[in-house]
Amino acid sequence: MSDPPAQHFTILYFASAATYTQKASERFPAPMTLADLFRRLEKSYPGIGEKVLTSCLCTINLEYVDGNEDALRSIVIKEDDEVAIIPPVSSG
Amino acid sequence: MAQDSSFEQRQDEGISVFLTSSALDLSGVVASVKSPKAGALVLFAGTTRDNFQGKSVTHLEYSSYPPRALKTMLSIAQTMKQKHALTAITMGHRLGVVPVAEESILIAVSAPHRQPAWTAGEEALEMCKEKVEIWKLEEFEGDQGGVWRANRDGPTHVPSDLASSNDISR
Repeated sequence: MSDPPAQHFTILYFASAATYTQKASERFPAPMTLADLFRRLEKSYPGIGEKVLTSCLCTINLEYVDGNEDALRSIVIKEDDEVAIIPPVSSG
Repeated sequence: MAQDSSFEQRQDEGISVFLTSSALDLSGVVASVKSPKAGALVLFAGTTRDNFQGKSVTHLEYSSYPPRALKTMLSIAQTMKQKHALTAITMGHRLGVVPVAEESILIAVSAPHRQPAWTAGEEALEMCKEKVEIWKLEEFEGDQGGVWRANRDGPTHVPSDLASSNDISR
């Protein structure tokens, strides 16, 4: 994957999240709070919150982030960060 | 991502975890945990079944977030090795299309005695199924597209009434 344009971060979609967005990844302007990101996703993909995101976890630069409301408002995604939407897993 | 021929590995002392798009090598994985110190060696091989709840499955396709999945696999292997005093542990998962009757996951553990080897092998598999960032797409005979499967015991804070809404048919 090439580097994101300046002032942007990358979001990765897997499994059901990729199916819903019809994308494997995209870029959004940084900085942005997680709460703002989820609002933006809902606007771009109506219904994604209830149908997909509520059952997903989220990582920023490979580390899981806390999903409670306060955390969503306080966590800021920075330029060049890699955010990932992690649906329930099914290896094996 | 999983389409190219690829192999990624993480290692620690007596520990190897890997993701590959090629067929899994059972004897290679067994050889990787063999040791003169180990009196017991257990291999688990998970293979693609030809049916799921009465429907014919033609093949499975696995996708992953490789750097995150390898981190989780390494952490599971380290936990198992320490908890059960294993001699060695190797865990490998195949990505991309896995035809019926071929292996998708291999877990091999060795230990001085049989009890910790059996136990660690089982625990390692359950932890993988619960945590490793890999997703299974089931392709059924005659269907358009497939179904993203979620292992029943997914992350603990996923509300169970919402977990089923994650199985979105393409």
